[in-house]
Amino acid sequence: MNFDWSVVWTHAGELLQGTEITVFLAVVTMMIAIPGGIVLALLRLSGSRILSGASASFTELFRNLPLILVIYAAYYIMPLTLNIALSPIATGLVALSLNVSAYNGETFRAGIASIRKGQGDAALALGMSRWQAMREVVLPQAVRRVLPVLASTWVSLFKDTSLVSVIAVGELAYTAMRIRSQTFRVLEMLTAMAAIYWALGYPQAKLVDWLNRKYGINE
Amino acid sequence: MTGVMLEYDNVQKRFGEFVALAGVSMEVRTGQVVCLIGPSGSGKSTLLRCTNGLEMLDGGEIRLEGQPLPRDPRGMRAVRQRMGMVFQNFELFPHRTALANVMSGPVTVLRLSRTAAEQRARALLEKVDLSDKAMSYPANLSGGQQQRVAIARALAMEPNIMLFDEPTSALDPETIGEVLNVMKRLAEEGMTMIVVTHEMNFARRVADHVVVFERGAIMEQGSPVQIFDAPLMERTRDFLSHLGWEG
Repeated sequence: MNFDWSVVWTHAGELLQGTEITVFLAVVTMMIAIPGGIVLALLRLSGSRILSGASASFTELFRNLPLILVIYAAYYIMPLTLNIALSPIATGLVALSLNVSAYNGETFRAGIASIRKGQGDAALALGMSRWQAMREVVLPQAVRRVLPVLASTWVSLFKDTSLVSVIAVGELAYTAMRIRSQTFRVLEMLTAMAAIYWALGYPQAKLVDWLNRKYGINE
Repeated sequence: MTGVMLEYDNVQKRFGEFVALAGVSMEVRTGQVVCLIGPSGSGKSTLLRCTNGLEMLDGGEIRLEGQPLPRDPRGMRAVRQRMGMVFQNFELFPHRTALANVMSGPVTVLRLSRTAAEQRARALLEKVDLSDKAMSYPANLSGGQQQRVAIARALAMEPNIMLFDEPTSALDPETIGEVLNVMKRLAEEGMTMIVVTHEMNFARRVADHVVVFERGAIMEQGSPVQIFDAPLMERTRDFLSHLGWEG
């Protein structure tokens, strides 16, 4: 077998651009899905049957559908039924945000539930409202406690952004596949793609470990 | 002694089938230290939690300076601001320093400026002899130190009455004294206090009035001298001797 690794270098600019889009998708999705998850968790725990039911339905819908199906649905069905036509990147962001928000919602719910009731009582006893007790006392602790879970969600998300390649978003996977089909250098391009994903993912995982040690709760 | 601060009128509370309070009536006068004693599960803590609305009554009434406790959230919050509460497990906020814990109420509830709140918090930490621990996190404080911070945190709201729910039950024996000393000083300053406790020496020396609970009801109440030296009820005597009280 012959390898021609030069194909990687001649297309380095495109791969870099694809990588930028991958990072962009992951970062923006998380920026939407963290507040999204918190809102879902608060609605779920609100005590209102309607709000809690709406949150649970949303979560169970998007957590139990394959992400690739949600991406296709956002691409083909959203413009038809809701009359919303977005660019491929924006469509990909919608699908990823729906999916990751649902996961984060469950994560935050578990985190909030893990904070012992006495903490909320202490906040209420100071005269705080329920919302202040949540915002000042319970949520900050819950977020620290679920950092490891959020981190592993982040690492999954970073790789799952590759699925939006199916709607022609020019992120890393799409770009690598396109170069592959133009040059027929399958093994080289797959290796390059693997190397880039891994090289980006590994330091993130380490960074998260470090964050965890620094900001984890000691009781 | 001046007026009546708190009146309990046939207070009842159930948790499912379990009757936690079966009609409790008593009063707390301004400036008084009232100690609630009795076996575990006899309703002392529940009465305290009903007092500041952490539990809702199932019957009867609690009056604060003659006014029945409000049941709406806003009214309840206003009442809680006038009552400081100290918990068995301290319940300091672990993500905040000792200083920030004490500032929590003034900043979030009273909307004091950070400067004013910090000034107040530092004065209170000094009062509980913890000036040097202002920047420590709860995890780095001993149980006794944590409980003193918790007392300072409650005092930061400048309450009219302090509720102590077994404040020394979770402490190592060697740190119990420092917490009781802070409470004793508070009592000497004239703070109205309700203290649920198993520390009989504290009740004997500091309380103005002692209430003995059993099975959700008051078995006996009176001055410490009467309760500890000449209890009327056989069961009070049994309870005290279980705790090793020799009189």
